[in-house]
Amino acid sequence: MQSLTPSSRGGWLRGYWLPALLLVFLILFPFIVGALTESSPFGVARGDRMVMRGESVRWQSVLIEVYILAILAMSYNLLFGFTGVISFGHALFFGTAGYVLGLLLEYTALETGVALALGVLAAIAVCGALGLLIGFVTLRLKGVYFAIFTLAVAEMFFIFFGRWQLTRAEDGFAITDLPVWLDPSQSRISFYYVALALAVLTFLFIRRLVNSPTGAVFKAIRENEDRAQSMGYNTLNYKLLSITIAGMLAGVAGILQVILNKKVGPELLGVSYTVDPLLMTIIGGIGTFSGPVIGASGLHFLDVFLRDAELVIAGITIDIANIWALLLGVIFILVVIVFPFGIIGTWQRRRATRKQRAVTTGHPPSA
Amino acid sequence: MAGRASLIAIALILAALFGVAFANSSSPGDFGITLLSGLFQGMLLFLVASGLSIVFGLMDVLNLAQGSYFMVGAYVAYDAQHAGGVIDLTSVLPDPNLRFIGAVLAAIAVGALLGYLLERGLLRPLYSRPIFQLVLTFGVSLVALELVKFIWTTTPYSWTELFGVRESFFELFGQRFSTYRLFVVGMGIALIVAIGLLLQRSRIGIIIRAGVEDREMVQALGINVRAVFTLVFTLGCAIAAFGGAVAAPFLGASTTLGNIFLLQAIAVVVLGGMGSYSGTAVGSVLVGLAIAVAQDTAIGTAFAALPSITPMLLLVLVLLVRPSGLFGKS
Repeated sequence: MQSLTPSSRGGWLRGYWLPALLLVFLILFPFIVGALTESSPFGVARGDRMVMRGESVRWQSVLIEVYILAILAMSYNLLFGFTGVISFGHALFFGTAGYVLGLLLEYTALETGVALALGVLAAIAVCGALGLLIGFVTLRLKGVYFAIFTLAVAEMFFIFFGRWQLTRAEDGFAITDLPVWLDPSQSRISFYYVALALAVLTFLFIRRLVNSPTGAVFKAIRENEDRAQSMGYNTLNYKLLSITIAGMLAGVAGILQVILNKKVGPELLGVSYTVDPLLMTIIGGIGTFSGPVIGASGLHFLDVFLRDAELVIAGITIDIANIWALLLGVIFILVVIVFPFGIIGTWQRRRATRKQRAVTTGHPPSA
Repeated sequence: MAGRASLIAIALILAALFGVAFANSSSPGDFGITLLSGLFQGMLLFLVASGLSIVFGLMDVLNLAQGSYFMVGAYVAYDAQHAGGVIDLTSVLPDPNLRFIGAVLAAIAVGALLGYLLERGLLRPLYSRPIFQLVLTFGVSLVALELVKFIWTTTPYSWTELFGVRESFFELFGQRFSTYRLFVVGMGIALIVAIGLLLQRSRIGIIIRAGVEDREMVQALGINVRAVFTLVFTLGCAIAAFGGAVAAPFLGASTTLGNIFLLQAIAVVVLGGMGSYSGTAVGSVLVGLAIAVAQDTAIGTAFAALPSITPMLLLVLVLLVRPSGLFGKS
């Protein structure tokens, strides 16, 4: 039922030509934009430093944001779409990872490289532990209890970090110390490839996981937890595994976000980093592999293009940027009501029915 | 009814709260202020939580937009009371006391109307997909927040017009107590009793309670459960808007109200046991008192965030001991 299943005969590339082409395009992207707009993908040299200026560099950061959101949405989809556990506190992992990394980079006397390595490891470990802990306390509760519990915990963290004087409360603090090769304000292109690689790895990892026997149990829990339990599976353990992995992946996204903006602040824990992946997953298609990626890129590009647009209704000019959140909310409601399977989900369903019809009538599928 | 373990838990929490409050207060008047402010917060919480609880018990819908109704109620009441807003009642009702009653009624009407629209228009098609209802009401709360920002901007309003009850004080143990708080507490208790009686004694109350027990059976007996759903949902939203309206003279109107009260009300509902009316009432008082005590404790210390975290801490503690809440069915 997946969009990426290779056909049974032919080379391995046959079923994968579209994603492979896309990957090549994304790898070459900084140079393509650079050639089209006559700007250097490495930025402009000023003295012995590179200044990040020009169209290519600007578009690299747009795509980096897409990759970050895609990782976040994919991790959310693992929990919500494949395991059927709904959480309203995904920002918790995203922001906590950011804070852990930021604290290690800025508040310890460690050498930059060591602090970065330790920070990344610690951030992911803390997210995993947090997921395990929250899951352990609440996953035996029914779905609704779990959802609001996560919302409450995330909000608690948000309030806490928003008032913690050590991390400069709601202002947050800047990251000043990064190795040159990773620093997006000195060498954005290498950070671009790091983010791209992590997004691709996340995609492959989730696909591998969901297609494994463990993933089969995830999906069984989503379909009917009681039945999975009566078949002898300890569903609590599987749900714990799912939330732990999802938390760690969301942590990876949070780490990337902090490095990209070179800033840590309570907005990382804000409700929008829960809403965005939820929305992206639903719009792209719940429980599909490419749905969250399509949802993330679609919404982010819309955001980028519409931010400066203006809408004139009955002589009143409205900046799209001002009503963007409102538009998102309305899209949200409409999708939930009329389009519950998302873009990829609906497309797959339609394809499946067409195939079935072709089988029953004996005609080959038209596409 | 609650088992012995729940009663012991409630008694322990109350004892701990009173102990901390007593240790913090320098005089009986001080202690009284903490108590009154706790009860005041508890009543406001009850106004949001009661709708949440009954709707969840009856329809299995956790309305994440409930806090938005509280917020909208506060804005409508503020707007109606003060000159120069969208709804201007200053010329119609020049007396501020009368105008306040008008403002509260306007808030209730808006809350009821929006609640009715949400249930009939958006929730009905989704009764077969419960998780999407949760997601939908979440989306509605986002839209409500943006609409409020659009109409009233993001600048918080603080209540400036003083009127009879809001201004007056009475003295006890050498401390000045706000009559308005006492008035809200009294009204809250009256409402707790009234809704309790409605649920226990009236025909519609019997239907609602039967629906909480077994929805399909009630339907099989020939009762139009959907109409009951709409009624209960509308009522819940109206009560939340009422809560926002009576809270506005103290808390003003701001865009953060909705989320704060939603989260606290959810803590109340879960802590009391989902779908249990008496649990919600008891939970509201407990959480309200806990917040007031935490506010007293946090003044001048590094734990400025303590009051906001208190409801969740209490919730986590209770859930660890009783996983289905104080009055919940295990």
